[in-house]
Amino acid sequence: MLKIISYTLSAALLLGSCRQKKNAELAPEYLYEVKDQKPICSLIDNKKGNILMLYGNNVALQAANDSLVKQVPGAHYTLVTWKQKQMPGWYGTNMNGGIYSVETLQVSQVGTQPFRADYGFKPGEVYSSLNTKFDRDQRIRFIIEQRAAILP
Amino acid sequence: MKKTPSTAFRRVLSIVGVLIVAFVPLQFASPVVVNPPLTKEISAPEEVTRILKQSCYDCHSNASNPRWYGRIAPVSFLVAHNISEGRARLNFSEWDKNPPVVQELLLWEIVNAIEQGKMPLNSYCMLHSGSRVSASDLAILKKYVNTLPGRHKVDTARIIRPATLASRPANEKLSRIPVSINGVPYYPDYKNWKIISITDKYDGGSMRVVYANDIMYNAIKSKKMPFPDGSKMVKAVWGKQQQDSDGIVRPGNFQNVQIMVKDSRKYAATEGWGFAKFDGLGLKPYGKTAIFDRTCINCHRLLAPGSDFVFNVPTK
Ligand code: HEC
Ligand code: HEC
Repeated sequence: MLKIISYTLSAALLLGSCRQKKNAELAPEYLYEVKDQKPICSLIDNKKGNILMLYGNNVALQAANDSLVKQVPGAHYTLVTWKQKQMPGWYGTNMNGGIYSVETLQVSQVGTQPFRADYGFKPGEVYSSLNTKFDRDQRIRFIIEQRAAILP
Repeated sequence: MKKTPSTAFRRVLSIVGVLIVAFVPLQFASPVVVNPPLTKEISAPEEVTRILKQSCYDCHSNASNPRWYGRIAPVSFLVAHNISEGRARLNFSEWDKNPPVVQELLLWEIVNAIEQGKMPLNSYCMLHSGSRVSASDLAILKKYVNTLPGRHKVDTARIIRPATLASRPANEKLSRIPVSINGVPYYPDYKNWKIISITDKYDGGSMRVVYANDIMYNAIKSKKMPFPDGSKMVKAVWGKQQQDSDGIVRPGNFQNVQIMVKDSRKYAATEGWGFAKFDGLGLKPYGKTAIFDRTCINCHRLLAPGSDFVFNVPTK
């Protein structure tokens, strides 16, 4: 009886209050699907306010699991960069927002300077070229240098 | 048959009569709010505790002080219910019952509950003018949580790799699949799923990647919510290494994976989502009793009801 009274009252008060359940609108355009490659690691870029995900094929993943940095012929990478945004439901987390850029790398030959590699850069919707000095070799090194995140 | 005005009037009268007759004895059944002793009150700067005392203590402390109308039945039933539920969720008078990490998480949750207008409860605000937290007070709370130790936590420990990692293909089957105490299993094939979210959870010094299976991924792609049964997510969590000179932060040690699986019948008690968490490289199932998942849904329900209780979905 008491339970019934309090539940009815709670329900009445809840309905009477201005609490509304508004639904969020999904934005699949922020997703980026990398086919035939696996995640290597995520990275946070605090200077640019970006967040990144590096993918690679099996050769690249194996190389990234090795503790020594090395270029392995046949390694293919994709580095997806998003602008960070505050997670809508939680102040305390930043997540991927709009796509900033997509970089691809295919290592063909090893030990030559400059690197023998195909490198591609595609600006995303929210890319800004302002005050970013772009150095192709440096981007290639950055991609190859990342170690795989540990997973059980 | 059409009712004559007089029968309708007599009906109303008899209802009022019944209400009055019920009202008086109801007072004897009216719950009395008891304030248990304060074991260990939250310690925080005075500007912070002032806000909590003013807006939250009536339901989240052992110093509840219901107004006179809150002591009269039937309102008293609702008040007592809110107090017992509120205290069970978080109690500023028994703050040290929570481990320090949980205390910090609760403080961030508090900021979010206020920011989203979920707390104090609306029914309470309507009757207690001045209990709503002002924008400037919320700013004080935000500033405070940003000074907590977890906010700048860096994982400086040597990175531990599973012994067999280098020699094992990423999707090899585990010899024994761990299962959570509530029956939700670990899904080892998540490494082949698609990624829906990459995060910097700076409140506790971790970074995360959320994988979704095809059912979940396709639902997001076609903007379908609530998510269909069979939707699954796995969230992998790492510590954060020291930021390098270019501002880059890399994942440190692996901490845990957390799982949500949709089965609206099986997990009806938790809004249709089955929850699980597996700790460390050994994937030790988290939770002492099968209802550990109530603490999971309580926070997800409060703060992410507009996206089917999922935080990590891409939204406008
Ligand atoms: C009138 C009583 C009342 C007041 C006042 C109130 N709360 Fe609550 N609170 C509740 C109840 C009841 C619940 C559990 C039900 C719910 O989530 O709606 C709750 C749940 C919560 C939770 C969720 C805890 C969990 O289980 O994850 C948080 C956080 C919270 N309150 C914070 C606050 C803060 C901060 C204030 C003050 C600004 C406040 N509350 C004021 C009654 C109250
Ligand atoms: C104090 C609030 C809170 C509690 C309690 C909580 N979560 Fe979450 N959960 C969050 C937030 C905030 C996020 C998104 C932030 C992030 O992961 O970076 C999240 C994200 C998740 C995700 C990824 C999908 C999504 O909703 O974004 C899973 C899976 C998850 N939590 C599982 C759990 C499990 C299992 C438990 C209980 C053992 C739990 N959570 C308890 C707040 C909470």
